[in-house]
Amino acid sequence: MSRPVPVPTELSRPFWEAARRGELVVPHCPGCGLRFFVPEPACPGCMSQDWRYAPSAGLGTVYSVTVVHRAPGPGFATPFALTVVDLDGGGSLLSHVDAGDPDDVVIGMRVRVEFRALDDEIALPYFVPENTH
Amino acid sequence: MSDRRPVVVGVYATEQALSLPDRDAMDLALEAVTGALTDAGLTRSDVDGAQVDWPGPGGVPGEGSSWARLLGHGLRWTSDSMLDNAGSRGLLKAAAAVRAGYADTVVVGGCKLVARGAGPVGAGVALEFADVWGGYVVAQFALVAARHMHEYGTTSRQLAEVAATIRNNGATNPEAMMYGRGPYTADDVLASRMVATPFHLLDCCIVGEGGAAIVVTTAERARDLPHPPVAVLGGGMEYHQAAYANPALYREVGGLGRDAATRSYAMAGVSAHDVDVFSLYDPNSFEIIRQLEVLGLCGEGEGGPLAASGAIEVGGKHPVNPDGGCLSYAWNGTQQMTLKVIEAVRQLRRTAVHQVEGAELAVVGNAGSGAQHYEMSVLGRLR
Repeated sequence: MSRPVPVPTELSRPFWEAARRGELVVPHCPGCGLRFFVPEPACPGCMSQDWRYAPSAGLGTVYSVTVVHRAPGPGFATPFALTVVDLDGGGSLLSHVDAGDPDDVVIGMRVRVEFRALDDEIALPYFVPENTH
Repeated sequence: MSDRRPVVVGVYATEQALSLPDRDAMDLALEAVTGALTDAGLTRSDVDGAQVDWPGPGGVPGEGSSWARLLGHGLRWTSDSMLDNAGSRGLLKAAAAVRAGYADTVVVGGCKLVARGAGPVGAGVALEFADVWGGYVVAQFALVAARHMHEYGTTSRQLAEVAATIRNNGATNPEAMMYGRGPYTADDVLASRMVATPFHLLDCCIVGEGGAAIVVTTAERARDLPHPPVAVLGGGMEYHQAAYANPALYREVGGLGRDAATRSYAMAGVSAHDVDVFSLYDPNSFEIIRQLEVLGLCGEGEGGPLAASGAIEVGGKHPVNPDGGCLSYAWNGTQQMTLKVIEAVRQLRRTAVHQVEGAELAVVGNAGSGAQHYEMSVLGRLR
């Protein structure tokens, strides 16, 4: 058994296509300037339907973290650091930060995106400490 | 003019257990409905509104009007939504219908066996950006708690004190799933295995099965019924966004419930410190600490020390969940919300297992930060 695989929708397909190329994109509304996540049918800032995906540098800060010891289902290696990452420029993503030891992931930590393939279609935006190479 | 103030006149909780293998959801819903009507001193012919789960078999699953056939006559008011059939939200919608005259006597409640056969409880629908990361319910609440601890210095021991206090209420409540399990100290909670930091196993609510229902009618109708009517004095609801699709962020949902509380107290003409007993959602220990803050019992960030001071004990200044709450009495899916109303009603009738002496005013709080919605009601003895 594996982890639940995201099923791209009309709203999210460009996000997953970019992810497969190793690029992080987030919804951006040219009208009001808001960057947001997850994608919505219209911009949460101004309700415009004319938002577009815009590239993100993939850098951010850990807003909160929980080290999950009890897996929610099959396919998860525990423990892992489930995190909310505030992206520079706007938008917050649920993700994992892989810092080796999950207990080392702390609020305020600077992180950068690192894509890892889940299957042939889906690459997931993990995060790692910004200074790791 | 007739007195259309909405009151709760009947309550009933079925057996609550980790598993009820010999029961199905329909059978539990039926027991809850008939039990609440009997408690109210009413019969099915008195009911003209049914906000009750209809799990099937029979009728159309999910369609509340399926109850009309079993009640033996047409309905004037119903609901097809699980969340509209439970807790403060169900109560407030029924109360609004009764006050406006859309219906005179509404049953709210039911049973849906969400826990049966499942692993850890999820949102019940596929969530594209949460499921793949393992962003399940406990973990999403944990993300809120972790940020509160970071900002205000709230400690794991304070969380553990909350869990021990509420679990110890359940340990001595014969109706509780965890009856006889305890007493616990904060050290016991801290020694239990970690689920998702900062939550140890004993910080988290139990998962089980059971049904519940209440009967709402007018103060006029309640005059010749057996129990002292419990008035719906005020209420309020807040919805930040749909549950669990986006992670709950403390900066957005930390204050969830404050607006509902302010409006509820104003409507009831009371203040937080007038409330004698709180029946609050406790999916985990931290959510009680957060609610002490948003319900106006202390300032933001002060909930940890207040909760750990003994204030939430049955004999304390702000008793919380004398029945043992979801941590020890019962969690059964959405109808755990109705159990919160039932405990408040029993407290105000002065028939609770762990009775708060002289209880005149109660608050019922459902859902919370991780779920990104909050529904509360203020209940009182009818004057």
